[in-house]
Amino acid sequence: MSEVDSLVNKIMSQLKDENSSASSSTSTSTPTNSDSELGRNDYPLFEKHPDKVKSPTGKSLHDITLDNVVDGTVGPKDLRITPDTLRMQGQIAASAGRVAIQKNFQRAAELTQIPDDRLLQLYNALRPYRSSKQELLDMSSELRDKYNAPVCANWFAEAAENYEKNKKLKGDN
Amino acid sequence: MKRQKRFEKLEKRPVHLDGFVKEWDDEGLVALEGKNDPKPSIKLENGEITELDGKKKEDFDLIDKYIAEYGLNLDNAEMAMNTDSLKIAHMLVDPNVSRSEIIKYTTAITPAKAEEVISKLNFGEMIVAVQKMRPRRTPATQCHITNTLDNPVEIAADAAEAALRGFPEQETTTAIARYAPMNAISIMVGSQTGRPGVITQCSVEESEELSLGMRGFTAYAETISVYGTDRVFTDGDDTPWSKGFLASCYASRGLKMRFTSGAGSEVMMGYTEGKSMLYLEARCIFITKASGVQGLQNGGVSCIGIPGAVPGGIREVLGENLMCMMMDIECASGCDQAFSHSDIRRTERMIGQFIAGTDYISSGYAAEENRDNTFAGSNMDVLDYDDYCAMERDLAVNGGILPIHEEDAIKIRNKAAKAIQAVFDGLGLPAITDEEVEAATYASNSDDMPKRDMVQDMKAAQDLMDRGITVSDIIKALHDHGFNDVAQAVLALAQQKVCGDYLQTSAIFDKNWHCISAIDNPNDYQGPGTGYRLWEDKDTWDKIKDIPWAMDPQHMDF
Repeated sequence: MSEVDSLVNKIMSQLKDENSSASSSTSTSTPTNSDSELGRNDYPLFEKHPDKVKSPTGKSLHDITLDNVVDGTVGPKDLRITPDTLRMQGQIAASAGRVAIQKNFQRAAELTQIPDDRLLQLYNALRPYRSSKQELLDMSSELRDKYNAPVCANWFAEAAENYEKNKKLKGDN
Repeated sequence: MKRQKRFEKLEKRPVHLDGFVKEWDDEGLVALEGKNDPKPSIKLENGEITELDGKKKEDFDLIDKYIAEYGLNLDNAEMAMNTDSLKIAHMLVDPNVSRSEIIKYTTAITPAKAEEVISKLNFGEMIVAVQKMRPRRTPATQCHITNTLDNPVEIAADAAEAALRGFPEQETTTAIARYAPMNAISIMVGSQTGRPGVITQCSVEESEELSLGMRGFTAYAETISVYGTDRVFTDGDDTPWSKGFLASCYASRGLKMRFTSGAGSEVMMGYTEGKSMLYLEARCIFITKASGVQGLQNGGVSCIGIPGAVPGGIREVLGENLMCMMMDIECASGCDQAFSHSDIRRTERMIGQFIAGTDYISSGYAAEENRDNTFAGSNMDVLDYDDYCAMERDLAVNGGILPIHEEDAIKIRNKAAKAIQAVFDGLGLPAITDEEVEAATYASNSDDMPKRDMVQDMKAAQDLMDRGITVSDIIKALHDHGFNDVAQAVLALAQQKVCGDYLQTSAIFDKNWHCISAIDNPNDYQGPGTGYRLWEDKDTWDKIKDIPWAMDPQHMDF
C-alpha cells in the first residue's frame, strides 16, 4: 500500500471511528491512555511500544518473567489482555482500513470485565431458542449497568428484537 | 453389453471410487451461477440498506439483517455496485491495480455481486488474483496433530516434528471428547518444544473450546462455523449475533480466532434454499466481515466431497478462497479433508492454492498418518511430505513445509516426549513411562505406541479442569523439571496474549516471537519483481533446496 493510500485509509477510519463512537451512546470505557491514535507503524506493540502494554493488575510486560511465574508473583490474572490494549490494537486495525475489526475489539474490551463463567453463560443465552425476549433484555441491562458494556448491551437488545421477529426465542422451535 | 477392455481397466482406477453427480440447481447442487441465485442489488435510504440482492427489508432473514447492518462499507456502496462486475474481475487479475485499490470496491459490494465477480474468472486467473489478494505477503500452511487413541506423548512428538517442519499453526481435536484438555496441553508443549512461536488450537464444542482458551491451553480457535442459510445456521446451534458475540469473547481473552465455512455445508445439512454453493459461501464471508473477525477457514473444508462432485466445483473452491481474500480477510484455504482416492486429483485439489500461495495453503495438512487423523483424514499426510517438498523445490514455491533430517526429527520428538512427561508429572496426571517416550520418538502411527489406561487419562483430564489448572501450572512444571527453554516459550505465548499483536489479520510468529501479519507484512504483489518470491527469502529457499535425499554431484563416491 502506498503512503498516500495508507494516510487516506487512516483518515477515513478515524472519521468512521468518531461517527461510530458518537452513535454508540457515551462510551464509559474512556481510554486511560490519552496519547494520540496508534497506526500501523506502531505495530507490533510488543516491539514498538512494550511500555504501553500493561497486565490487568498493572504489571508491565517486563514483569512477566519465568522467575515471577514460578514464585507466583505473576499468576493467571496477570496473563490477560486489558481494554486499553484492545483499544490500541483496534486503532492499528482501523489505520490499516479494517474498521469492522476495531468494532469487534470495542466489544471485546467491554467483555474483559466479565468473569469467564458468566461470559460463557451470556454466549449460550444468545444461541437460538435459549432465551425469552425479556431474558435477553435483562442481560442487556446487566451488561450496561453492571459491566459498563454499552456496545454489548446494544448487541443483546438488537438480538432480542431480531430474534422476536425471526422466531429464534425460547419456545419458537 | 460386451465390455470394452479399456473401459474395464479405467473403471478400476482410483478416481472411480470418487463421487460425481450431475447438477441440480433446486437442491443447491451447483457450484456457482445457479438458476435461483439472486441478481445483485442494493437500495439505501437514510444510510440504511432497504433492499439487498433483490430482497426487501421486511423479508430479510437474520443473515440478511446482519449483513445489511454490519457487512458493507456503505460509503463506497453506490460506486462499487455501479461498477461492472467484469471490470472488478479485471482489476483482480491486472497487476497494475493494487490490492488496496481493489479492496475499496470489494468491501462495498453485496454477496450476489461478489459471486458475479468471481464467476467471471477462470482457474488460472484465480491463481493470479489469489497471489495478489492474500493479506499476508509471506505464505504459510497449517497442520492437524491427532491420533485415534488421543495418545498425549505421540501428540507432543508429532507436534514438535511438525513445528520443526515449519507449520506456524497446529490444530488438534479428540477421538474421545473428554480428552480435550489433555490434547490441548500436549500439542502446545510439543509444538513449543519443536519451535517457539507456533500457535495451537483444540477443536471441540464452541463453549468448551473457549474455556480451554481462557485457561491458556490454546492460542487460537478456528472451527467457529457459520452457514449461508438461516435454517442451517440455526441447526448449527447459533445465530449471526451469537457467533459475532463469541468472536468478541475470544478477543476479550487475547485469543486469535477465525470463522469456518465452505461450499457444500448447506447441501450436507439439507437446506440450500435452492442457491448455488458460491452464493451461499458469499453470505458466510460477509457474515465474517460483519463480525469484525480477522480470518476465515473456507474452501469446501469438511464438505469438500460435495463441491468436488459437481462440474467446476474445485474452481468454485478456489473462487471462494479468493472471495475471502478480496474482502480483506485472512484465508486458511481448506485443502484439508480427504476428498479423492486418486493421487492425481489430490494434487489437483491443492494446486491452485499451492502455486498462488495463501495465508495457510492447507488448514490443515495431516501431520500424522491419515489413519490417525481424527478430522476424518486430510488431503495430504505425513507420508506425502517428501512429494510435497519435491514440488516446492521443483516449482520454487514456498508451500510452507520444510524438509528435515531424520536425526533432527528423532532429537526433537524425544525432547517433546520428555517435556510432556515432565508436565504430566508436574500436574499429577497419569505417569508417562520412559518406554512411551522411546516409542513416541521413533513412532510413525499410534500402533507403534504402548497402550495407555484410557479410563485413567479421561478421569485425569476432567480432574485437571476441576482443579482449575492453568497455563501457569504448566510453565511451573516445565521449569521444575529442567525444561527452562520450553517453559520460556510457553510463557512467551502467554505474554503475547497480553499484548494482542497476533489478533491482527493473518498473524503468525517466527521463532523469535516476532509477529508477522497483514499489518507489518502486507502483500505488495503487483506483477513480476514484486511480492513474495521464494528465492529472495534466501534462508527458506536454502532449506527447501536441501532435501536430504538429493545427490551432491561434486562429492560422489563411485
